[in-house]
Amino acid sequence: MDLTAAPFLGIPEYALLWALSAVCIGLFALRIAFFVRILRLAKPESRLHHIGKRLRMVMTDVLVQPRFFDRTSAVHAIVWPVHLVIFWGFVCYAVTFGWSLVKGLVPGLPIPWPEEIPIVATLVDLFGGIVLVALAIAAFRRYALRPRGVKRTVDAGIILVLIALVMLTSLAGAAAGIAGRGEATPEAWLPFAGMLAGLFTPSGAPALQHAFWWSHMGIVLGFLAYLPYSKHFHLLASPFGVFLGQTDAIGKMRADDSAEVEGRFDLRDFTWRELLTPLACAECGRCDRACPSYNSGEALSPQDLVHGLKEHVLAAGPLLLRANGGAAALRPAMNGAFPPDAVWACATCASCMEHCPVRNEHLPLITRARRRLVSHGAVDAHLRDTLTAFARYGNSFGQSERARAKWTQGLPFRLKDARKEPVDVLWFVGDYASYDVRVQNITRAVATLFDRAGLDVGILYDAERNAGNDARRIGEEGMFEMLAEKNVAALSHCTYNRIVTTDPHSYNTLRNEYPDYGLSAPVVHHTELLLDLVRGGALRVSPLSIRATYHDPCYLGRYNGVYDAPRALLRAVGVELAEMPRNRRDGYCCGAGGGRIWMEDRPGSGERPAESRVREAVALGDVTVLVSACPKDIVMFQDALKTTGNEGALAVRDVAELVLQAAAAFAPAAQEV
Amino acid sequence: MNIVVLMKQVPDLVEELEVDAGGTLLDRAWLRFITSEYDDHALEQALLLKEQHGGTVRVLALDMGEADEMLFTALAKGADSAVKLSGDFATGIDSHSAAGIYRHALEGASFDLILTGVQAIDDLDGPAGAMLATHLGLPYIGVVSGIDVDTANGEAHVRKEYPGGLLAEFTVDLPAVIGIQAAMQPPRYVPISRIRQTMKTASIDETAAQGERIAGAISVERMYKPERAGSATMLEGSADSIAERLLDILTEHGIGR
Ligand code: SF4
Ligand code: SF4
Repeated sequence: MDLTAAPFLGIPEYALLWALSAVCIGLFALRIAFFVRILRLAKPESRLHHIGKRLRMVMTDVLVQPRFFDRTSAVHAIVWPVHLVIFWGFVCYAVTFGWSLVKGLVPGLPIPWPEEIPIVATLVDLFGGIVLVALAIAAFRRYALRPRGVKRTVDAGIILVLIALVMLTSLAGAAAGIAGRGEATPEAWLPFAGMLAGLFTPSGAPALQHAFWWSHMGIVLGFLAYLPYSKHFHLLASPFGVFLGQTDAIGKMRADDSAEVEGRFDLRDFTWRELLTPLACAECGRCDRACPSYNSGEALSPQDLVHGLKEHVLAAGPLLLRANGGAAALRPAMNGAFPPDAVWACATCASCMEHCPVRNEHLPLITRARRRLVSHGAVDAHLRDTLTAFARYGNSFGQSERARAKWTQGLPFRLKDARKEPVDVLWFVGDYASYDVRVQNITRAVATLFDRAGLDVGILYDAERNAGNDARRIGEEGMFEMLAEKNVAALSHCTYNRIVTTDPHSYNTLRNEYPDYGLSAPVVHHTELLLDLVRGGALRVSPLSIRATYHDPCYLGRYNGVYDAPRALLRAVGVELAEMPRNRRDGYCCGAGGGRIWMEDRPGSGERPAESRVREAVALGDVTVLVSACPKDIVMFQDALKTTGNEGALAVRDVAELVLQAAAAFAPAAQEV
Repeated sequence: MNIVVLMKQVPDLVEELEVDAGGTLLDRAWLRFITSEYDDHALEQALLLKEQHGGTVRVLALDMGEADEMLFTALAKGADSAVKLSGDFATGIDSHSAAGIYRHALEGASFDLILTGVQAIDDLDGPAGAMLATHLGLPYIGVVSGIDVDTANGEAHVRKEYPGGLLAEFTVDLPAVIGIQAAMQPPRYVPISRIRQTMKTASIDETAAQGERIAGAISVERMYKPERAGSATMLEGSADSIAERLLDILTEHGIGR
C-alpha cells in the first residue's frame, strides 16, 4: 500500500507532502534560528561541567518527571501521571510520525509503514487511547476545576485540541484500516481502534483511511510549525533547560557580571541560560503556587516574571537582531518585564526553582533586576537605612559593632575571644542572634550548651560583620564583597578548625560563597553540631515529652539540604515530631529572606507568609511548639502568633532551647539557667 | 545652575557620648563621625536641581571626622567636584569661624546657589549659612523643604513648613544661600561598588582653610550629662504597713495634721 503514490488534482501526492513539509519545517526552523540568534547575543555562561549530574537530571526530570508530583493537593497531584502519559505518547507519536513522513516522501521505499508492525501498531493504539483519557482529565482540571495559578490561555486550549486531533486521526485511521480489511480479528491487538472500527463500512473505509492519514500528517506538520510559536515550545527547549540546569549549590550566587554599559538594560545583559528560562517555561504555574509572596497576594508572580521576559524576548529580540546590537534608539523598557514591586517582593526562598518541573531558574533573573535597581539607588527608605547601617556598622540593626557581643554579658562563664586565642570551633554568631533582644536568650542557650559539652569554642566579638548573604540577595553586590572581605580578614587572624553558625543565612554564604573569598574551613549549623554533641555523649539530656512541629528554614533546607539534623536532634531530646503538610523541600518560607525583613511592609491582599505558617502549625491540633532553627524565623513567627491571635495555642522555640530544656537535669548546680 | 553644597561631619549617636576631662568638649577617644543628616538632604536637593536644570554640584567640607568618605560618597552620588578645607579642627569649630572659612573659600567664585543643612546636631545653632550669606552679601532663607528654580528670572521659589500644617512659599533672588530642612526626596542610596570605584577614579581637591578663628565668639562653658532630678520611692509590703508608712511620710512633710 502506497498512500502517496496516487496523484491528487494531477500532482503526485508525495510532491504535495514535500511541499507541505517544506513549508512547516521551514517555519519551524525559522523560529528556532531566531531563538538561537537571541541566545547568541546574550552573555556567556559555562554549563558543561558535571556532565554525569546533568545526564541524571535529564533521566529523572525529562523521563520520569517527579517534580510534577505535587503531594499538597489532589488536583495538582493528578497532573503527574497525566503529563507523563502525554509526554510518552508524544515521544511515541513523534517517532512514528517521522517514520511515516519519510515513507510518504519517498514512495516505494522498501520499509514497512510503522502500523504494519504489530507491536508498533499496538503501542500507537494504546498511547492514542490513554493520551485521550489523559487529555480529558487535563481539560477537566483546567476548565472545570479551575485551580488557582493555572491559566486558561488560548494557547493552552489550542494545544489540548491539537494533541487530541493528532490522536483521534491516528486512531480513526487504524479503525478504518480494520474496517477495510473486514476482519473481526486483526493481526495486531488494537483495543481502541477496534472500538471505533464499527463506525466505518468496509466499502468506504480505504478512502477514509487515506483521508485520516493525510489529516494526521497535516495536523502534525501544522503542529510542528505552530509549536515554537507557542508555550509548547517548552517541549523542545525544556530538555535542554534541564540538561543545562544549575548543578552547583543554589546557595552560590554568581558574582555580578553586569557590563559597565550605562543606562543599558536589555537582553544582552542576560546570560544565554537566563534567556533559555522563558523559552523552556511551560506556563504550568507551579512556581506561583509555591511562592509565598504570590500566595500572600503581593505584587510578585514568578511565572509572570518569566513570561514577561519571554514577551520581551519576542518584542525586543527582532529589534536587537536588526540593529545588530548597537542602535542607540533601542532601549526596550525592561521595567515592563521586571516591575520593581514584583522584584522586591521576593523572599529568595527558592521554592519556585525547587518546584519548577523544567528546572527553570527564577532567582538569577530576580537578582539581575535587583542589581539594576540598586545601581540606580532605587531602594525603599527602610532598605536604604539598613544598607547604610551595613556599610557603617556591619549589622542591620544600626548599632555599634562594639555592642555585638553584649549578649554574652551575664553568661556564667567566659566565651573565648577567637581573635586572641586558638579555638577548635569558631562560632559565627550572626546579626539577629547577636543584636535582637528577642533572640539573644536563644544565643545564650546555645552558648550554655556548648559550655556544658566542654566545646572549645570562641567568637569574633567586635570583629564579626554581617555575613552579607542577604545584602547579596538584595542585589548590593559591592556590599556583600565588602562584608565578606572584612569577615575573611578577621577570620584569617584566628586559629580554628571549623566554623559553627546559629544563622542559616550566614551558614549559606559562609559555606557556599566564602570559599571564593578565601575561606576554607568546614562550616556547620548549630543543630548539626549539637546533634554530634548529644550523640557523642558530650551533652547529656533527659527526654522531654513535648509534641512539636519543625519549620525548615529556607537557607538551611532547600538551600543546603539540611533537613535531617534538626529533626534528629529534636528526636534525640525526646520531642515527638509532627510534620506540617508543607515540609522539607515544600517548606513554606516565613517571608523574611532576601532583605524582605528590612523593606517597608506593604502587605498583599492575602495573609502574610509567617501567618500562614503559624496557622498551618496550629491546624495540626496537637502540637504545642513550633520549632525552628533560624533567628529570623523566631522573630517572624512570634509576631505572627500575635497577629493571628495564637499566642495561647503555640510557643515558638529554637531547637537549641528545647535541647537546653532537656539538658537541664544535668546542669551544674552553680549554673541554673 | 551651579550649586555649592556645604557639608559637615557630626558625632554619631550610635556610640555613648562622653565628656572629656576638661568638661567642655566631647571625649574624642570614643567619638565617631557621621555625615550631618541635614547636609545629606542639602546634597540630595542639589543633585535633584542639577538633574532638572543641568549645571554642576560642588561640595565643600571642613576636614573633620570622615570627611574623605563623605566627599567620595557625594561624588559617587553625582557631585561634580569636592573640596576639603584642611586645618586644625580636632576640637571642632564654632559656626562663626566656619562661616568665615567658607567665605574665604567662596569669595570670587561663581555659583547660583549655596545649599547647606539648616542646622547640625553638634551645635543646634544654625547661623553658619545665615552668616555666610551676610559675609557674601546674599539673601538667606532657612528651614526649607522644597525648592523650584526659575532660571529664566534668576530666582528660586522655596517652601517652608510651619507648625499646624501650614506651608509658605517664598521667592528669593539668586544667587542665595539656603538652609535645607529636608530635600524633596529622601537622600538617594549609592551602591558600595560605585563609592569604591569613585575612590579609585576621582579625587578630592584639598586646600588649606583660611579665615580667622573668631576667638570667644561662642564658647562652651560646661558640658555635662543631665543630673537625675529626684527619684521615686516605692512603698512595698502589706496594705496596712504601706498605709502606715504613707501616713508617716505625709506627716513628715507637714501635710495633714
Ligand atoms: S524565591 Fe520564593 S519568594 Fe521569590 S519568587 Fe521564588 S518562590 Fe517566590
Ligand atoms: S517557570 Fe517553571 S514552574 Fe513556573 S510556570 Fe514556567 S515551567 Fe512552570
